[in-house]
Amino acid sequence: MVEQLTKVKFTNLNKIIFPLEKITKKQVIEYYIKIAPKILNILLNRAIVLNRFPNGINKKGFYEKNAPKGTPSWVKRVEIYSKTTKRHTNYILCNDLDTLIWLANLTAIELHIPLSTITTREKPDFIFFDIDPEPPASIKEATAVSLLIKDKLDKKGLKSYIKTSGKKGLHIIVPIKPSPSFEQTKKFVHEIGLQLTKENQLVVSELSDTKKPGKIFVDYLQNSLGRTISSPYSLRAKPKALVSTPLEWSEIKKGIKPAEFNIYSIIKRDKEPWKNILENKQEF
Amino acid sequence: MTEKTKTDPSRRPIWTGNLTIGLVNLPLKLFPMIYDKGISFRFLHKSDGQPLKYQKICTKDQKVIPWEEVAKGYEVSKNMYILFDVKELAAIKPESDKRIRISKFVDYLSVDPIYYNKSYILMPNKSNETYSLLLAALQNKGKAAVGKITLRTKEYPVLIHAYKGSLVLTTMRYSYDVVNPQEYKELRNLDKPKKQELDIANKIIEDLSGEFDIEEFEDQYRKKIEEIIKKKIKGQKITVETQPKEEVKELMVALRETLKQLQKK
Repeated sequence: MVEQLTKVKFTNLNKIIFPLEKITKKQVIEYYIKIAPKILNILLNRAIVLNRFPNGINKKGFYEKNAPKGTPSWVKRVEIYSKTTKRHTNYILCNDLDTLIWLANLTAIELHIPLSTITTREKPDFIFFDIDPEPPASIKEATAVSLLIKDKLDKKGLKSYIKTSGKKGLHIIVPIKPSPSFEQTKKFVHEIGLQLTKENQLVVSELSDTKKPGKIFVDYLQNSLGRTISSPYSLRAKPKALVSTPLEWSEIKKGIKPAEFNIYSIIKRDKEPWKNILENKQEF
Repeated sequence: MTEKTKTDPSRRPIWTGNLTIGLVNLPLKLFPMIYDKGISFRFLHKSDGQPLKYQKICTKDQKVIPWEEVAKGYEVSKNMYILFDVKELAAIKPESDKRIRISKFVDYLSVDPIYYNKSYILMPNKSNETYSLLLAALQNKGKAAVGKITLRTKEYPVLIHAYKGSLVLTTMRYSYDVVNPQEYKELRNLDKPKKQELDIANKIIEDLSGEFDIEEFEDQYRKKIEEIIKKKIKGQKITVETQPKEEVKELMVALRETLKQLQKK
């Protein structure tokens, strides 16, 4: 018992974070401890952004890019200069279990990742499709659109990975060898979106059309330097503690209920559909 | 460091004398049997590691008082003392009688363990024959000898019984040293259990019945300290994990599991 399992000092473990389900901070930390073997390799060397809810998800949360005051010295950070804001930001790198636990203890409920790693920050290693259904369109329609996108990517010989957003939509990622610019990947996603609008009248691919009822927005705009997306396996700050969950395409084909992918079920889930995503970076 | 702590026997008797039963006389030596194996620490000065000692300091003028000037006081009422000279008390000390007088024999198991104080091993003092005779007789009958002994300044009732091929002397507490539970009103007004409930309770007890085995128990605190001492001797740095609260324990279980998985990767 003299060994020390973690450098993190736990605080306020009994605080309720998800009031509807009475989920405590302890359960959130336990979730991130248990999911660590699946999430850590994806977070590795990405300048993450936190969405923190110190007083639970029903109270106001905040996004945090800069490592907060009191960040322990053992937490790795990377300083990035933003040309647009002309400011330096000290991003956190979550490269180890202790940092992940420390973030959970900070009630960083949501972890958001950029589409590139710090080694080649201006060259994305992920191409990202955000499929966002506007009610009354639902996950069912989003699923249909995701399969259309997969089909197009397959035809181009690109292997793609899908996850739930943890909210109402779906995310598709194509892992690539970092070489094209964000401008190129953004254009690529936009073009596929535009093709789909011609084939399926539910699909829209321009920002101005997003809020039209019943439409599915294929968002390409996140493919930009400095933008972030919800990390796979990140909890989402929604009442039922849903998880942005990597799925098999076969599960998508059968039809899914996003509510089934939550803090309780994902800990027990054996499937790890994105296991080899980083080993499958493709030529683009 | 002692491993799983078997206690080494002492070679020095703490008392020698005779046990008398009527006209029979049995010369004996008394050896300690019970050790409370706590780990003892010495107070040191934090900054230079030097041992600290106690001094008696007068509460009025803060002066250190030498032993010759120390007396004992019996508090009659708050801050009112009757003064005793240390020598005065020594004079009336009970005569260190070199005799254990046996008055009767009782069934060993009929004595309530509540009264047991401390046990000692009796050894024959050039009296092997009589010793083994008494031992065998007590063993056969399941009896224990009841008597009195004076050890240092105190007179004790004692029980002598056979234990692992030896005579063991156990000093006893006086009845006035033990609180009668019935002094508590709450215990005098307990509810009578219903027969049905009692049957269930009996069943549970039967199901969970077993042999008592003291070897199943181990002092975890002592064990941890011994581990730390070992590491400190080797010059390892110690990080102390504070006793986790109940909710943290679950996190530690998850942590161990995850650390194991991460190591595999």
